[in-house]
Amino acid sequence: MKKKWISMILSAAMVATVLVGCGGDGQPAAESPTQPAANQEAENAGEESAGSETANTDEKVTLTVLAGQSTTDAGIEDMIDEALAEQYPNITLEWECVDWGNDFQPKMQQYMQSGLPDIMIGKAQDVATYAPQGILGEIDSTYLDRGLDAAKTNVTIDGKTYGLVYNALYQGVYYNKAMFAENGWEVPKTQEELQAIIDDCNAKGITPFASHMVDTWSIGNVTMQFMMNDVFNNDAQWGDKFRAGEVSFSDDPMVQTAYQYNKLIFDNTYPETFSTEQTDCDAKMVMGEAAMKVSGSWSIQNFLDIDESFDFGIFPFPNQSGDSKLIFEPNITVMTSSASEHQDAINCVLDVLTGNKDLAVEIYDYTKTASMLKDVSPTFANPSQTDIDKYAADGMIVDVTLGNNQLVWGGFQEENAKDIVAWLQGDATFEDALAASDARVDASSAN
Amino acid sequence: MKSKNRNTMEKSMEKQYLLLVLPGLIIFTIGLIIPLLLAFRYSFTSWDGMTAEKPFVGLKNYIDLIKDSDFRAAWWFTIKFTIGNTIIQNVLALTFAVALDSGIKAQKIYRTAFFVPCLISALIVGFVWLKMFSNVLPALNDLLGTSFNFLLFGDGKTVLSGLLIANNWQWVGYWMLIYLAGLQSIPSELHEAAKVDGAGAWSRFINVTIPMLAPAITICVVGITTGSLKVYDLLVSSTKGGPGRASTSVIYQTYATAINGRQYGYGSAMSVSLVVVLLLVALIQVKGLKSKEVQQ
Amino acid sequence: MMAFGKKKQKEETSSQPYTKSTFIVQIIMSVMAVLYIAPILIIINYSFKTKKELYLTSPLSLPASLQLDNYRKAFEKLNLATTFTNTLLYTTISVVILALLCGTTAWAIARCRAKFFKFCYVYFIVGILIPYQALFLPIYIIGYKLNLTNTRYGIIFMYVATGISFGVFLMTSFMSTVPIELEEAARIDGCSVLRTYFTVVMPLLKPAMATLVIMQAFQIWNDYLLASLYVSKKNLKTLTVAIQSLFSAQTSDYTTAMAAIVISVLPIAILFMCLQKYFIKGMTVGAVKG
Repeated sequence: MKKKWISMILSAAMVATVLVGCGGDGQPAAESPTQPAANQEAENAGEESAGSETANTDEKVTLTVLAGQSTTDAGIEDMIDEALAEQYPNITLEWECVDWGNDFQPKMQQYMQSGLPDIMIGKAQDVATYAPQGILGEIDSTYLDRGLDAAKTNVTIDGKTYGLVYNALYQGVYYNKAMFAENGWEVPKTQEELQAIIDDCNAKGITPFASHMVDTWSIGNVTMQFMMNDVFNNDAQWGDKFRAGEVSFSDDPMVQTAYQYNKLIFDNTYPETFSTEQTDCDAKMVMGEAAMKVSGSWSIQNFLDIDESFDFGIFPFPNQSGDSKLIFEPNITVMTSSASEHQDAINCVLDVLTGNKDLAVEIYDYTKTASMLKDVSPTFANPSQTDIDKYAADGMIVDVTLGNNQLVWGGFQEENAKDIVAWLQGDATFEDALAASDARVDASSAN
Repeated sequence: MKSKNRNTMEKSMEKQYLLLVLPGLIIFTIGLIIPLLLAFRYSFTSWDGMTAEKPFVGLKNYIDLIKDSDFRAAWWFTIKFTIGNTIIQNVLALTFAVALDSGIKAQKIYRTAFFVPCLISALIVGFVWLKMFSNVLPALNDLLGTSFNFLLFGDGKTVLSGLLIANNWQWVGYWMLIYLAGLQSIPSELHEAAKVDGAGAWSRFINVTIPMLAPAITICVVGITTGSLKVYDLLVSSTKGGPGRASTSVIYQTYATAINGRQYGYGSAMSVSLVVVLLLVALIQVKGLKSKEVQQ
Repeated sequence: MMAFGKKKQKEETSSQPYTKSTFIVQIIMSVMAVLYIAPILIIINYSFKTKKELYLTSPLSLPASLQLDNYRKAFEKLNLATTFTNTLLYTTISVVILALLCGTTAWAIARCRAKFFKFCYVYFIVGILIPYQALFLPIYIIGYKLNLTNTRYGIIFMYVATGISFGVFLMTSFMSTVPIELEEAARIDGCSVLRTYFTVVMPLLKPAMATLVIMQAFQIWNDYLLASLYVSKKNLKTLTVAIQSLFSAQTSDYTTAMAAIVISVLPIAILFMCLQKYFIKGMTVGAVKG
């Protein structure tokens, strides 16, 4: 008899647990009335603090911060802590630093179940993913105004800005300046000019492109660079049209051209590119084995680590029409929780980030990235800076967030890159790769 | 009267035993079984892992799974990896164990040498072999003037063998210890008797050693198979499922789908299918191998 | 019984004649052992190289000097004092709880013939097969509903929950070597079940517990997934999670990573070398009894 009871209780418990899971549906509905209220409060608090930033400094506050970083960023948390301790000693940050590529999205998923941290640091494209869920708070204009206007465009949705863009990466083709001068190569503007350099390289036994295709992310990254100049440059709404069924990878020659550039690189790079890691790849380039590398600012740290006197420049990968723009990617982007109880303290942190120029310079120098704040420039020696300035002055730069917002990274670009690898390795045809991208249309948007 | 008394005593003991089992049962149920049931529930929804609603879609996810070529490819890789591991690891582990048991000197040193790799986390093992294949071994080529293809992780056709090498490097020592223990528990009288009957070394191995090792073989085969089906950590730091999807395991694909691809419901269907397969495989193996044990 | 037989057996194997073929086996195994150890030596070698040496010299060459810079950097980047203490804390407490819990559970299962306990055994064993790796989000959902995430007791709870299956399996197999007569005697003396367990049974279980402790300890020490899921706050992080961040995309600082690997493996390797005997004994339990 007893046994039966026990087993009944146990099975009842299991049923109950399943119901708890089901309860998940009802529960947020019950909670939701409180959420707007919390929102309201937070906004009010935000307004107050904007007026009197340093108002209540005596109250001890601990803010939780989720930081999705790349390795080049790791370490900036200590700099921020230090600066904050000086300006607002009552505020402490509780950092949770994770790898942006692998762990930021899962962590955000978790926190969307349990409640967001007060501050989240990600990339500009994250705003498009999370803001429509109604969980991000608006950033106060006091702090936004200290940043460049260009920083705001792609983190603003329906007139409200949810992200504070702090720095930027530049992406394009890094080239060995000394080698270019030696061989009399000019910076190529068209595909023909680029091909001429490639041919000359091959004739002289130089590897035209350094690449590390072992990292699938790097293929995804360069593919977006190609698409920015050959697709989005001609049609800024290409991604939306793709979802509407007006265009597709299989039918659009512009996209196919962009995909084909991967083959151009693959045919003109290290034979062991699928076993070459980024650090090794960059080392080979610094040591003169390769002439160019399609990459981004994250390579600078590597280049200079290996040889601090390595002289390099950057140019945009030439497109079919010869009007390529240099790509910049807003990188560190600060987002805040709309439900935080500490909006005051959050604003203090934003104040430190945007107002403390010494801190900003320290961070830019450390990460080797470009400033997105007004009147602040990094002081590290960046040989490619003159090139960047030139393209910026000519208005020949474009924000890659445009493409990343329309065709998301996780689940789309990332997966497409895997198909491109299969194609390059001969395990699938070019048409297969295109068709696979088309089949993924449902995953191409974050919402 | 007496039997009734005994009965109540047994009842009270049972109650006390129950008290001992309960804490473990509760922790286990909360920590593992409920999440499993939750995953089962999510597998019938199109939840993206973020929103509050979890729209019910019935069996759609499971129907999609059957049609999903990437998922099939992930299973195919996982199966090849599992079969490869089960064969290589068992053969190598048994061979090593027999060799160590053959009376060689300094057995302890060898034992440690083979065992140490499995003390290292699979995450690190993946990273170390990435370096081995792409830097260290090619340097060996330069040194010796040979031209072996060591870039095993760099090609979809060789990545499986590379991962098998890494995984076997890590685990052979572990299973070897189990076989070694099994070997050392075989009464030497059995061997002596077989020798008297005129059985050669090989026939003694087949007819005496192997049957006596049956329990160890069961443990190793089941352990290696189920372990290999769950492979994930090793991939995270080595091939990341690549090149392309050439080394994407079922769990890796589940991750990519549920987390990065924001298809949590669909990903849950994947994990449910994996759990079902794991249970089936283990059941069949244990049943099959155990029945052999009894026969012997 | 088996235990006694085994001891005798061991002496006999070691007294096998050392013939020519044994010598050949010895040579072959030596070569194999060197091959097995080689990657570990490479890690150690890397850990002393400077970043520049890495590119400019062959991976097989020795470092120019025994500089400890990488170790210093690893200490710093890993936040070693904190991560090491955390890992040690989680591991120790988890294995102690596991040893206690699995002991009582397995004993009750082995001694009680009621169907419910048979069911419990199967229920626990099924857990060995459940890939908790695939249950990422539900595990987290349960965690936050019970306020377990980003807490020390939360991660320990999860280690216990995921380790208990194997522990019960191991302990139940071992239980058949524990003579029931002593328990019966204690019971006749009027001991309660619990008291019988603690005074009579547990002392006899010590070898199995030692095994369980060691085997779980190195799994928990090396765990990456659960730790990254449950404790990602800076002051709660474990060693493996911290090391992983050194491998991540864009720049892998791998000389530092190699030093970090050496640091993280060392304690567990020392533990194994000291307690080898228990380790092997415990693995025997399953292998010999089935």
